[in-house]
Amino acid sequence: MVVIGLGSPFLTDDSVGPRIVRELAGEGYPGVRFVEAHAGGLLLLEELSGTRNAIIIDALLDESLPPGQVVVSGIQGASHNAACSHDCGLPEALDIGRAMGMPLPDNSDISLVAVVARDVTTFSEDLTPEVEAAVPRACTAVRSILARKNAGSPAEAP
Amino acid sequence: MNQRITIDPITRLEGHGRIEIFLDDAGEVVSAYFQVPELRGFESFCVGRQAEEMPNITNRICGVCPEAHHIAAAKALDELFGAPCLPAAARIRELIYSAFFVTDHTTHFYCLGGPDFIVGPDAPKEERNILGVIRKVGLDAGKAVIACRARNHELIKKLGGRGVHLCGALPGGWSMAVTPEIAREAREIARQNIEFAQFSLETFHRIVLGNEAYRDLVLGDLYAHQTYSMGTVDAHNAPNFYDGTIRVVDPAGNEFVRYRPQEYLDHVAEHVEPWSYVKFPYLKNIGWKGFVDGPESGVYQATPLARLNVADRMATPRAQAEFERFFDAFGCRGNGPGGRNRPVHHRLATHWARLIELLSAAERMQELADHPELCDPEVRQAVSCRAGVGIGSVEAPRGTLTHHFTCDERGILTSVNLLVGTTNNNAPIGMSIAKAAKGLIHKGVVSDGILNRVEMAFRLYDPCCSCATHAIGTAPLEVTVRRSGDGTILDRISRGL
Repeated sequence: MVVIGLGSPFLTDDSVGPRIVRELAGEGYPGVRFVEAHAGGLLLLEELSGTRNAIIIDALLDESLPPGQVVVSGIQGASHNAACSHDCGLPEALDIGRAMGMPLPDNSDISLVAVVARDVTTFSEDLTPEVEAAVPRACTAVRSILARKNAGSPAEAP
Repeated sequence: MNQRITIDPITRLEGHGRIEIFLDDAGEVVSAYFQVPELRGFESFCVGRQAEEMPNITNRICGVCPEAHHIAAAKALDELFGAPCLPAAARIRELIYSAFFVTDHTTHFYCLGGPDFIVGPDAPKEERNILGVIRKVGLDAGKAVIACRARNHELIKKLGGRGVHLCGALPGGWSMAVTPEIAREAREIARQNIEFAQFSLETFHRIVLGNEAYRDLVLGDLYAHQTYSMGTVDAHNAPNFYDGTIRVVDPAGNEFVRYRPQEYLDHVAEHVEPWSYVKFPYLKNIGWKGFVDGPESGVYQATPLARLNVADRMATPRAQAEFERFFDAFGCRGNGPGGRNRPVHHRLATHWARLIELLSAAERMQELADHPELCDPEVRQAVSCRAGVGIGSVEAPRGTLTHHFTCDERGILTSVNLLVGTTNNNAPIGMSIAKAAKGLIHKGVVSDGILNRVEMAFRLYDPCCSCATHAIGTAPLEVTVRRSGDGTILDRISRGL
C-alpha cells in the first residue's frame, strides 16, 4: 500500500497533499509507504509500480465546489486528475504501464482524496484558512480508506 | 463579426495554455499569441531566506525540470559564496545533468511532440498520444521509453539524494561522493542511453523523414522563422548544457555576441506588452522591433535547434555525425559565414535537434562515468557568507536558464531574479503560432487537424508553464478571439480554467 501526497510545497494550497502525508506518516501504519511527490503522469507511475493499493492526495481546482471541501473518489471519471501535462494523465499513464507489463494496482484499488483549493498560484508555504481547516477531515478520510483496505491500525504509542 | 473557434484541450503541455488570436473584419488571422498564467510572488517568497536554500526551493518550481533549477541555483551559490566548484563535484553535477537531459528529451519526443509526427498531425486527437506512438512503433519501444526514464531517475536519485527533487547541491560542491558501485551503474546506464538515443534517431529518420508529407512539413515554410539563436558553448564552440559561455548568432550565422552568463543583463532585456503580463526577452543591443523576423529584430530563440545553430561542432563523435547529417538535410552544412553551417530556421526541426542532444547527453554521460577520478571524495568545502551577487546559468532543455541572487553579509537573500528557458522563447512562440494560424485558418474555417498544426507551432518549443496543479476535467486552455486594433473580445472559449 502506498499513500502519495501530490503537490508543490511552495504553492499555497497545492501543498495540501504533501502536508497530509506528513501528518499521517508519523502514525505508524505497518506496511504502508508514505510518499511526497510533486509531479503526476509517468513520474507518478514510477511511485505506483509494485503496489497493490494506492491512495493519492491532491489539491483540486473546481469552481463549482467550495474551497476546503474534501472529495473522495476513484480515478474513473477523474480523467485529468493528477495529470502531469508534460506527459499524460494518470489513467493514461496506468494504461501505458500495464501495456508494458508493469506491476500496478487495479484502477479500483486506487483512491483519490482531494481537497478543493482556493489558491495554487501564489508562492507561500501556508495553506489558505479553508484548506487548513480541511486537513483533519482529509486525514480522517485517508485513515478510513486505510482501515477499509485492512492496512492495519496505527501502532500503539509506546 | 462574431467568430467562434473551438480548440481541443492542449493535453501535452506543462501547465496552462492560453492562445490569443486576432482577426480582421474578413475573419482572417492578423496575429496570435501564446500566454501562460504567471505564478505570483516568487521573489518576495525568497527574499529574507538563506541563500543556500535556493537549490531546494527553485527545484520545486516545476515538476518537470527540477534538475535544471537545482544546478543553476548551485552555480549561482558558487559565485555568491566565492567558492568555485570542486572538480569532482562539478563532474557529479554534470553527470546528473546529462542523465536529466536524457529523460527530459525522451519524454518530449515520445509523449509530447512525437505523437504529432509518429501518429500523424491529422490523426484523431484520442490517438495522438504516447499510446498511439506505442501502437505505431511497437510495444518494445514503449518499454524502452519507460525503462530509460526509470534507470536515469534512479541514478539521479542515488547521486542527488532524492527522487525527482534532488537535494545534493552545496555552495562550491556536492553533498556526497560517488561510490564505485554507483560509478559502475552509471557506466552501464550511459551505454544503454546511447543505444536508446540511436534507436530514437533511427525511428525519427524512418517514420518522420521517410514520410513525404511529414518531411514536407518539417522542411516547409509554414514553421520557418529567421531569428537570432542563443546557446551555451564550450571553448571549442560545441554545445555544453552544464557550463560555458553564451553565444548568439544572427539569422545568417554570424557570431553576434559571446558573453559570460554573469553579463546577461548587458545583452538581454525584457519587453512588456499591455495585453500580457508575460515579458518578452530580446537582444538589448539590437532592440525590440516587435514580433518580427530578421537581423534588425532583437527576437531570439533559445532551444535545442538554437543550440545546434550556435555550435560549430558537437563535443562527442556520434552526435557529431548526426549534427552533420542534420545540416546536410537542410542544405546548410558549411555554407555559412567563414565556413560555418548556416542556421536552420525550420522550427519543426527542433524535434530532430532534441534527439541529437539526447545522443550528445548520453555520450557525455559515458565520458563522465568513465572519468578516472569520478569517485574522488573531495566534493565538499568550507564556505562562509559574504555580501554579494551570484549568477548561475545552465542550458535547460527548453533554453538558457539564469538564476541571479544577491545577499547581505549574513547570506540572507535581498533579491532574486530568474530568467527561465521558456521565457526566452515567448516572442518566437507567439510568432510561430501566428504564422501557423495565418497559413491555416481562413474566414474562421478550422478543423481539428488545422488547429493541431497551430498547437504544433508551440509544442515544438516544449514550453513549460511551471505548474504543479492538477484539475479534474480538462487541461486548462483558453482561446480568445479579438478584433485587431482595439482588442475587443469577439469570443472566448475556455476549458478547465
